Amino acid sequence: MNAIEIRDLSKSFRGMYAVDHMNMTVPVGAIYGFIGENGSGKSTTEKLICGHLVPDSGNIKLFGKDYTDAGVRVRVGALIENAGCFPNSSVWDNLMMQAINLGLNNRGDEIDRVLKIVRMEDSARIKFKSCSLGMKQRIGIAMALLGDPALLILDEPINGLDTDGMKIMREILVDITKNYGCTVLISSHLLGELEKIATHYGIIRQGKMIQELSAQDMDNRARVFTSLKTKDMHGAKKILQKQFEKVDFEDDLLKIYDVDETEKIVEYLIKNGHVISEIKKNKVGLEEYYINLMSKKEAQ
Amino acid sequence: MIDAREIKFENPSFFKRLKGMLGVDFYRLFHTPMFYIFLVIAAVIPAMILSMTGMPGEDGTSNPMYTNTWQIVAANTPLYVISDIADYANMNMVFIFGGIMVSIFIGHDYKSGYVKQLFTTHAKKQDYMLSKSVVGAFSMACMCVTYLMIGGVLAGILSGTSFEVNVGSLICAVLGKMIMSFGWASLYTFLNIIFRRYFGVSIISSFFFGTGILIIGAAAIFGNNSILNIFLYGSSVYACLSSSFLTIIVCSLCSVAWTVIYNIFGTLILSKCDVY
Repeated sequence: MNAIEIRDLSKSFRGMYAVDHMNMTVPVGAIYGFIGENGSGKSTTEKLICGHLVPDSGNIKLFGKDYTDAGVRVRVGALIENAGCFPNSSVWDNLMMQAINLGLNNRGDEIDRVLKIVRMEDSARIKFKSCSLGMKQRIGIAMALLGDPALLILDEPINGLDTDGMKIMREILVDITKNYGCTVLISSHLLGELEKIATHYGIIRQGKMIQELSAQDMDNRARVFTSLKTKDMHGAKKILQKQFEKVDFEDDLLKIYDVDETEKIVEYLIKNGHVISEIKKNKVGLEEYYINLMSKKEAQ
Repeated sequence: MIDAREIKFENPSFFKRLKGMLGVDFYRLFHTPMFYIFLVIAAVIPAMILSMTGMPGEDGTSNPMYTNTWQIVAANTPLYVISDIADYANMNMVFIFGGIMVSIFIGHDYKSGYVKQLFTTHAKKQDYMLSKSVVGAFSMACMCVTYLMIGGVLAGILSGTSFEVNVGSLICAVLGKMIMSFGWASLYTFLNIIFRRYFGVSIISSFFFGTGILIIGAAAIFGNNSILNIFLYGSSVYACLSSSFLTIIVCSLCSVAWTVIYNIFGTLILSKCDVY
């Protein structure tokens, strides 16, 4: 059983498909990074899962039940576009309203708990409109965390956050999946950030899911490369090309792909009279993988 | 990975769901100034009308619009055709104030984005319709009370107008209008669901329907006819100072019928169309 299972889901606006016969599978307990360019259909998919939009066709199952099941939906927390708080009410009042909405009994304790998770215990009495963007995002997370959600749907929650804010958000998300058994569907443009926490990825393009893979698959597919600098870059390139299959000159660096042992490269260059001034072992990350995948799709 | 079988999902009953939604709406109602402002409006406007229209003119003579305090609460007889502003300016004004209040209340749900939280956790759209109707009706019923006690009784004492009335009829009239609050609140909730993307239009439409202008127009063409009691404004007019227990029955039937109709259609729209 999966936390989210989408089959053949479509949604169009004025005849244009925002989500085009899409399939998606999010395992229980995963942090699912939902990736795609602007207007690719990420937010629309999330809104469809939350029941804000009515699909044209297809079906959505949450934990094996239809997404309109009241019992499942009461265990879904969402932060889509904004926190959805009343600006003139305090942070506490906004959280209290959501706690009442969810029919929680120990509301005060529950609010304290989520405020502690998002590290905002001292800001409960501030009016929502007086909060910074980072605080608002964290309040949105706190709202979504109320009532022990089984599934969290977060639309660009790290957008606009500073480095500290991103770090806090990352820690919060890892904490809630590990300690609270929550499944997280998170969309973001900041692939570097997503890469640090996601256990699964879904890549969407023009409303279609073009690839789903686990972080493990991603790791296996990621290419290793060594980047280096020498005095005579062109000479070094010629020498290296004789020994290694793929050598490129990019961004003022020589890049040698798919060679796991850097020592071999160093030894070979020294033997051929080249002095290395800088050397680093790298791995193709999510960002490069995504860009490569997109350019392949573009070419098709 | 966690086994999905470990996660338990309890299906909340209809009453539990409604309790949650009503709880939020009442919390909001009591914790924001809007409700209290409208209570003051419902008290001050009739008080001003009653006391100012009885003041003597420049020549020193006074020709008061209301000879009896209770006329600010309800007309003497059910007058669907308006011939005088005094026939019109009575407790039915509460339904106009209520319409604007409900529009602002629902509008803020959409403007703040809180509606997303509500519809994420409430899969059943009828919860939303019903909850807003109940809260709107409660607000209008409260406005009826402040209208009666301050706009009517207190202003009547201060302006010295007569208090002579058939108490039974007065009670039936006031109860009838309070019962009508449910129907009106459902209408306004329905209108706000239709115009959910246009805050201004929803306020204007609520005001327009609240004035009862359509029924007044129909009555002007077809004359005073009790068939008009099948409409919200008609029944609201029917609750007058010559009311009897029958008035309460008519108002209850009309209010319940329109509450059911508007709730069904509102729920259908929310279920079949995108929430925002």
